[in-house]
Amino acid sequence: MIKRIRYRSTPLLLLLMLAAAPPGRGDRDRRHDDRPAPVPTSAYDSRYRPLPRIDTLIVNANILDGAGGRIDGGWVLVRDGKIVASGPGAPTQGAPVTIDAKGRWLTPGLIDIHSHDGTFVAPLTANDSEYSDVSEVSSPNSAGTWVEHSINVQDPSFKRALESGVTTLQILPGSIPLIGGRSVVLKNVPANDVTGMKFPGAAQGVKMSCGDNARAFFGSKGGAPNSRMGAMKMFREIFSRARAGRSEGKPPPPDNMDAQTIDGILSGDLRVHIHCYRADDMTNMLNLAKEFGFHITAFHHATEAYKIPARLNEDGTCVAVWADWWGFKSEAGDAIRANAAFVDASGGCVALHSDSPYMGQHLNIEAAKAMASGKRAGVAIAPERALRWVTSNPARILGLDDRIGSIAVGKNADLVVWSGNPFSVYSHAEQVFIDGALVFDRSNPARQPKSDFEVGRQPR
Amino acid sequence: MKPLAILLGLIGLAQACVCQAQSLAIVHAKAWTGTGASAVEDATIVVRNGKIVSIAPGAAAPAGLDVVDAAGKVVTPGFFSGATQIGLMEVSSAEDTADESVTSGKLGAAFDVAPALNSNSLLVEQARSDGILWALSYPSGSANAPFLGQAALLRLQEGQILDRAKAAVFARIGGGAASNAGGSRAAEWTLLRRALDEAKMLKAERLPPAEDRLFSRIDLEALQPIIGGLTPLAIQTDRSSDIREALKLKRDYQLKLVLVGAVEAWTVADEIARDRVPVILDPAADLPISYDAIGARLDNAAILDRAGVALGITTTANMIDTNYNVGESSRMAAGIAVANGLPYASAIRALTEGPAAIWGASDKAGSIAPGRLADLIVWDGDPLEPSSAPIVTIVGGRTVSTLTREQQLARRYSPSTDKTWPPAYH
Repeated sequence: MIKRIRYRSTPLLLLLMLAAAPPGRGDRDRRHDDRPAPVPTSAYDSRYRPLPRIDTLIVNANILDGAGGRIDGGWVLVRDGKIVASGPGAPTQGAPVTIDAKGRWLTPGLIDIHSHDGTFVAPLTANDSEYSDVSEVSSPNSAGTWVEHSINVQDPSFKRALESGVTTLQILPGSIPLIGGRSVVLKNVPANDVTGMKFPGAAQGVKMSCGDNARAFFGSKGGAPNSRMGAMKMFREIFSRARAGRSEGKPPPPDNMDAQTIDGILSGDLRVHIHCYRADDMTNMLNLAKEFGFHITAFHHATEAYKIPARLNEDGTCVAVWADWWGFKSEAGDAIRANAAFVDASGGCVALHSDSPYMGQHLNIEAAKAMASGKRAGVAIAPERALRWVTSNPARILGLDDRIGSIAVGKNADLVVWSGNPFSVYSHAEQVFIDGALVFDRSNPARQPKSDFEVGRQPR
Repeated sequence: MKPLAILLGLIGLAQACVCQAQSLAIVHAKAWTGTGASAVEDATIVVRNGKIVSIAPGAAAPAGLDVVDAAGKVVTPGFFSGATQIGLMEVSSAEDTADESVTSGKLGAAFDVAPALNSNSLLVEQARSDGILWALSYPSGSANAPFLGQAALLRLQEGQILDRAKAAVFARIGGGAASNAGGSRAAEWTLLRRALDEAKMLKAERLPPAEDRLFSRIDLEALQPIIGGLTPLAIQTDRSSDIREALKLKRDYQLKLVLVGAVEAWTVADEIARDRVPVILDPAADLPISYDAIGARLDNAAILDRAGVALGITTTANMIDTNYNVGESSRMAAGIAVANGLPYASAIRALTEGPAAIWGASDKAGSIAPGRLADLIVWDGDPLEPSSAPIVTIVGGRTVSTLTREQQLARRYSPSTDKTWPPAYH
């Protein structure tokens, strides 16, 4: 790794390290008990307020609803930031503003279930190879960290993602520690601090990691773990301590943030996201969850999910995968491009994720690639179904499928009007709505937010 | 001598026999020739002895040739990655499987990657399966800043992929690389100029003794074709000021310069065009990911094309794409460029004749024209959509298999495969 750091360009190297490094199913993710949350967290609550909005009717749209449905030539009515009606043909109700989509495509806002935007902040510098805000790597157990406390809302990557139709992101800590800390769900709106982006009421997640990263990082420093079995031993010790405390009815010590997060995993308050590549590693973690009675919401990367679809289904665990990343590390060697399609066809729950601020601008194309690869491998999945991979399925993983991820009555009006087929590389997100507010409009410079970082820097 | 001549004659005959299999005709193709021209509709492409003989709309296939009916589908030259490292690595995170850079030892410009090329690499197989038939594989680091080493020109045939070693010398200049030169890009430029000066001294047989030089003889020997203007010096750099400095260097030393990366090239498009310097870029690199790339934008390629700059494509934004998915990501990058203003034919050219000309291979690769090698692809859709894929891949007039390990794994684990016995039996 030292070799690469010295001689490759640092930012690009760091991008790869994210993958080399870092980062469910709804009804099983309820809290397991009624004890109060161990520490009041309202001090950090969301202060998000929707941007100014006008009730809007979108007509003549080809709608992919994100839940597997499709309406050609349909309409959607948005009132007070919610979808209040939709259907085919002529609308039955009006609104102060009508947008004629003229046969263009309308989808729910895209959801990036695995982003490091705001913590892996452009521009990167040499300092980022020494220390970064992606994860706290001073210990393999950084469970007590909250990634929201690292976020720089001025990362230009947020705006690029917005221009690409991404309306919600989960920011995850990195995957060097075994337990990397708590994730945060953000609305992709410009705000002056992270509380203005936090998705109101969204449950926190916790990021865990298995496989190569922790053993390579800590092992190379002479620390622990330096093997997979060493990592499993540490996991079991950590969860055993937490379970013992719970069985005695003792809350975790108020000054032990790590213990509080572990307790939150066991109580079901925190949704569990685990970075894993290999089938062996995922199975180990499913067994760990079984031993200690918690539920794994989703495996991330999960390049070998296609090898264990039945086990994933049995445990109700989703996967968040790339369309085609493979090979850059040994544990990614068996990645196949039909992974998403195979898991979907096996009845599993799959989302496509970015893990990269560049790919975070092309989640629709990830879906297009994964759909085409499935078809070539004998599993044809319709576009309206494939769109779920970047809309309603990640919403379900976040536990927010009652609010976002699909175009349905009562859902938040997070919408994207595309210039063409959303599965085409030539298509742009033309207009992006979050809670009914037009937060990006490609044809109106006044509705194209720019990060403070980019102000006054354009080279001449 | 006579027996040798007879032997050569026999070999010639043997090749002629093989060559029969290297002849075919593709009919009913929508052919993008790679030259920047519009597509030839209903094209008939005739191939004999591994080379393209003719391309014409609506022509009948000559009798006696195998015929590939493209049925209206797109045919292009095999795509050409302008800058990649396929063939030089397997698992990039494991140093013992990666040969694309050196971090110690004596080699700078003299670090030639060609002997490390592995035609059996899965990355080569995947690239070929995704439509790449030509590539420039370049070194990513040497022990002597600012040089990275010498790149190799690849033709992705089965069994043997090296077409020409030492096709270019690469150097990297910029903030991220400056630490190798002591911590300043000014030092990088001084070192680069000094190296060229010393190479000229060597040429003039006035090379000072080693203690008065900054560069070793072996590095200076590697630079001889550069100072002669025969072989390109590729400078990987992004910032406007560095691009201007590179143009100045080219003028001062009469170099054949190629810019690689060049995220801020759009700011100096006219100067680059005036100096006839080609650019290998990633059209998807739109983030200010470093302080050298503050001006990153999606229409870099379109602006350069309008200014008349010759383009090739590399894929560096997602670093994994440079090598592991170079075919898919190169096509996607070209598609993104089109979505942001680059004419379609120019995007195809940036994947074909553009880089072939930049790296000195346009007499044989990169276009569908008489005399060129018959390295051709029939696509199942628009090749600039990354979801498209080749359906027929032709190398030297012969159809080659594009089956990958990845596809074989998928077959083992397909939902429709009977799982009574474990996949290890399939």
